[in-house]
Amino acid sequence: MKYNIADIIVDFDVQYPRLKRQIEDYKYDGDRKTNVKIRFEDQFFKGRLIDFPHLDCDTIEYMFLGAEYYTALVHFNGMMLHSSCVVYDGKAYLFSAPSGTGKSTHTQLWLKRFPGSYILNDDKPAIRITENGIYAYGTPFSGKTDLNVNTGVPIGGICVIERSETNKIETLPTDEALFSIMNQTVRPSKEDEMDKMLDTLDKVVSNVPVYRLSCNMELSAAEVAYNGMKG
Amino acid sequence: MKTKKGFMLRNVAGKSIVVPIGQASVDFNGIINLNETGEFLWKELAKGCTYDELLKALLCEYDVSEDIARKDIDAFLETARNANVIDED
Repeated sequence: MKYNIADIIVDFDVQYPRLKRQIEDYKYDGDRKTNVKIRFEDQFFKGRLIDFPHLDCDTIEYMFLGAEYYTALVHFNGMMLHSSCVVYDGKAYLFSAPSGTGKSTHTQLWLKRFPGSYILNDDKPAIRITENGIYAYGTPFSGKTDLNVNTGVPIGGICVIERSETNKIETLPTDEALFSIMNQTVRPSKEDEMDKMLDTLDKVVSNVPVYRLSCNMELSAAEVAYNGMKG
Repeated sequence: MKTKKGFMLRNVAGKSIVVPIGQASVDFNGIINLNETGEFLWKELAKGCTYDELLKALLCEYDVSEDIARKDIDAFLETARNANVIDED
């Protein structure tokens, strides 16, 4: 079966219900050639069940297809950013932070404050350099919440968030932006793949504004973020 | 002393960074930001050199006093050693 994930044609045979459900919207029956073929043999599941005794096959298939996909993504001018991505007024805004900081909590405020906004991917959107600019894409791999949409949207801004009593947004210097983004992506361990990822990162950081948002959990946090990023 | 195997110096968006690859990426899960002097020192260390050679190279390249050069090198080495990216001889 073929799937179109972030404009990359992936050939994969889904076996378990969780992934079947999450990947449904990404089915592809067009004529484009397969870009990436991924197969997990029974032996693969047996091995992972031993490595990760707390996981079941359902979760293993979902997690490891995601890992394989995001590793392959570097070969297609792309990278994953661990972030919650909200779309409003035709632009995608990515809020990145370590787990537990409140990425999803913040983008939920946007949904309340800005009617018409939606979550593109709540945990791991794909970023790709395209002919039309730098785009964020929904993927089936969106963490606990299952929130994702199969589409691509030009990126309006990337924002590193941290918790604070009051709301403030500021532009992040390039070196801090690189540091933050590198800490919230899948890092290839092979040199050629690392170089590909750094090429993409170079274009992203050179063309997309990166901010730091200090924020609380009030609706005004979404306003401060949007006003600071809308340009 | 020499920079450890598996750490690559790269320029991204006009900034010099050092990233780990291969086994190094398992042990070191971060990146190192380098300023201009840091980049120079890293390149020298990547070839392998002693402290005195590093000092000489820095004094040749930049118009600074020996005192300042030593301070720069010491600060750089302290950071690099804390990050465990230098092999001592």
